[in-house]
Amino acid sequence: MKSTESILRDKHFQLLSFLITSARGCVDEPKLYGPLRLLDAASRLIEIMEEEGKSTDEISKLKELIEENIDILMYDEEEFIRLLDNLTRQLAKIIKNQKT
Amino acid sequence: MELIELIKGRRAVRRFREEPIPVEHLKKILEAGVWAPSGSNVQPWEFILVTEKENIERIKLISPGLFGNPQTLVVLCINRKRAEKGGELGQTTALMDISMAAQNMMLMAYSLGIGSCPVVSFSKTALRELLNIPDFVEPVLILSFGYPKFWPKPPRRRPLREVVHVEEYGKHFEG
Repeated sequence: MKSTESILRDKHFQLLSFLITSARGCVDEPKLYGPLRLLDAASRLIEIMEEEGKSTDEISKLKELIEENIDILMYDEEEFIRLLDNLTRQLAKIIKNQKT
Repeated sequence: MELIELIKGRRAVRRFREEPIPVEHLKKILEAGVWAPSGSNVQPWEFILVTEKENIERIKLISPGLFGNPQTLVVLCINRKRAEKGGELGQTTALMDISMAAQNMMLMAYSLGIGSCPVVSFSKTALRELLNIPDFVEPVLILSFGYPKFWPKPPRRRPLREVVHVEEYGKHFEG
């Protein structure tokens, strides 16, 4: 088992903590904060995948796209939804190009 | 700087440089908060200053709306016992008082070149536990502070003509 001190620095635990507190927050927060938190979580997950050598250039580009644009919700909701569509499209391309 | 320039220039900053804020500047920011108006001069606020990196990291774990690596956090709380002095309206007024204190702090910070961001997306339950906040004190807002990596562009503001009504509702401001 890991010590408490090391678990606080563990990226999986940080993601876990983010997910649980976000779940509670989403009960009261604006509707679009749900997708915002999920995107943030996706970015954090890709970071973990990168550290564990499980990411690819295409997946890491998704993270860059999220990090560069995640603030857009505060300025332009329609643009934020276009970002979600774009990310979904990019994800589909990654899936499509994978050999089974 | 003119007051209107401070008001218009302040932005919600979510990306900070790794540069500590001098204690004298933190003191100015906190004093600005204390000098906010409050209903019946109740001053229902309690401010919890957090500068230890490890403590900030712990708070970040339970605050989905807290972005970047701020150097300092101020947790603004309502002291419900003090707010009771404001009568039935006291609890509502306390939230307004806290908001005015927060704006004072953010403007003071901006005047010192320090960025800030108000955060309400945090777990109150978890924050109470982490900071040993008693039941009669309610954390309602976190302000994050730090030197910005960049100043974000200003979001669009609703024009005065749309927002301001002259003499009665529906007669829009034309000035």
